[in-house]
Amino acid sequence: MRLQDKVALITGGAQGIGRAIALGMGQEGARVIVADLQAEKAETVAAELRALGAEALALDVNVASEQSVQRLAERIFERFGRVDVLVNDAGVYLKAPVVSKSEEDWDRTLDVNLGGNFLCARAFVPAMRRQKSGRIISIASSIAHNGAREFADYAASKAAIIGFVKALARELGPDGITVNAICPGSANTDMPRRHRSEEETMARLRATPLGHVLEPEDIAGPILFLASDAAAYITGQTYNINCGTVMI
Amino acid sequence: MNPVALITGGGNGIGRAVAQRMAVGGMIVVVADYEYAAAEQVRAEVEEAGGTAAALSLDVTIAREVKVAVGEAAQRFGRIDVLANIAGGSFYTKRIEDFTWAEWKVVIDTNLKGTFLMCREVAPIMQKQKNGRILNTASNYGVTGSALRAPYSAAKAGIIAFTKSLALELAADGIRANTVAPGPTDTPRVMEKETPEARQQRWYSSIPLGRTGRPEDLAELYYFLTTPESAAITGQLFHCNGGLV
Repeated sequence: MRLQDKVALITGGAQGIGRAIALGMGQEGARVIVADLQAEKAETVAAELRALGAEALALDVNVASEQSVQRLAERIFERFGRVDVLVNDAGVYLKAPVVSKSEEDWDRTLDVNLGGNFLCARAFVPAMRRQKSGRIISIASSIAHNGAREFADYAASKAAIIGFVKALARELGPDGITVNAICPGSANTDMPRRHRSEEETMARLRATPLGHVLEPEDIAGPILFLASDAAAYITGQTYNINCGTVMI
Repeated sequence: MNPVALITGGGNGIGRAVAQRMAVGGMIVVVADYEYAAAEQVRAEVEEAGGTAAALSLDVTIAREVKVAVGEAAQRFGRIDVLANIAGGSFYTKRIEDFTWAEWKVVIDTNLKGTFLMCREVAPIMQKQKNGRILNTASNYGVTGSALRAPYSAAKAGIIAFTKSLALELAADGIRANTVAPGPTDTPRVMEKETPEARQQRWYSSIPLGRTGRPEDLAELYYFLTTPESAAITGQLFHCNGGLV
């Protein structure tokens, strides 16, 4: 049990990669907060965690709202008194070519994907500084490196996360807090299916050098490593988990 | 059956810590080193702790020696699941115009050619097994460069690109290849040259986590890259430097 009694917050923890991270943290002994805009789904994941024997709490949050993140922090500190691990996974993925992308969509993508990182860091870093320890792990995307047609806002937001993480790692290192990013390739979740047929999705997921379909658990594993004591000397890095599709 | 890990440069510093970590993780370790006595000592340490190990004398720059060493390891234990290429070093710190051709060759061959020769010899074994993990060793200098270490920086950058190509070539056989880039690490070799105070002066202000690395920090990362938790990771570069780079 590498995370025994650690308090771990996963935003966007209700489904897909976030859910796998939450379950993985619970299996490693962490007390898990599943925070998501979709409160019912978050509660389902919390129930799964409890069935595994882990302590879990589902909370609703809009990471793009200062008040909502503030309320989230208050509820967490009231119940747990601390946060050891913050995983920023909440994100949106809205398809449209740049020339016809609405300002609303642009703002939403940047506010949730990037702004959420900022607001959550601001809310939870002071407690980590007091503890003189903490782990922040932000989910970017291989699209940050490769770009993607009709997802320019998403690519920009995810690349910006990498820059943010590097700067934050420098700011927080002296307090014993590590900050790292993860760039998953396209994974076997609902997300790629939103804009493609099942057949096309699976064909694309199989077309990797390793020939292995990237599962949410493949992303969760390295995050558990980064959250554990074994990764105490690793900060400011970006881990690319994509079965060999992008090497940078 | 316990997996078998072959570790070059396993007699000292990071290589020694990696050998010990792999052994704790249940692997049989083959410790290969230019300094046979050092390899032999690590073998004894591992076995004393309850592990299984063998020691080999190996100069990774000599193709014939590489062939013999890999053959011995494979014959003795029947397989090679993990290859960690850690043998290397910067050897010299001086201006480019002061490097002789022979010195240049020593640095390039020990770091880059040695990595190639080892991979060339071990990859076919892993291809037959349809399983394997290769861990090559670069340096933060392979990304940033370093004044007075031009051949070392070049060799380490070469290892990063070599490993990406290798990862693409071997992926279809279920073999993963990744690179670890240590930052300033407290190994006996560097501690010999510098007092702890001088090291603190030189590094602590530029490393966000406020300390230089320990061989054990690196060993955890190498070990992680051999486990199923990293099953979807290949062709990537992993820095371990406290946030320096």
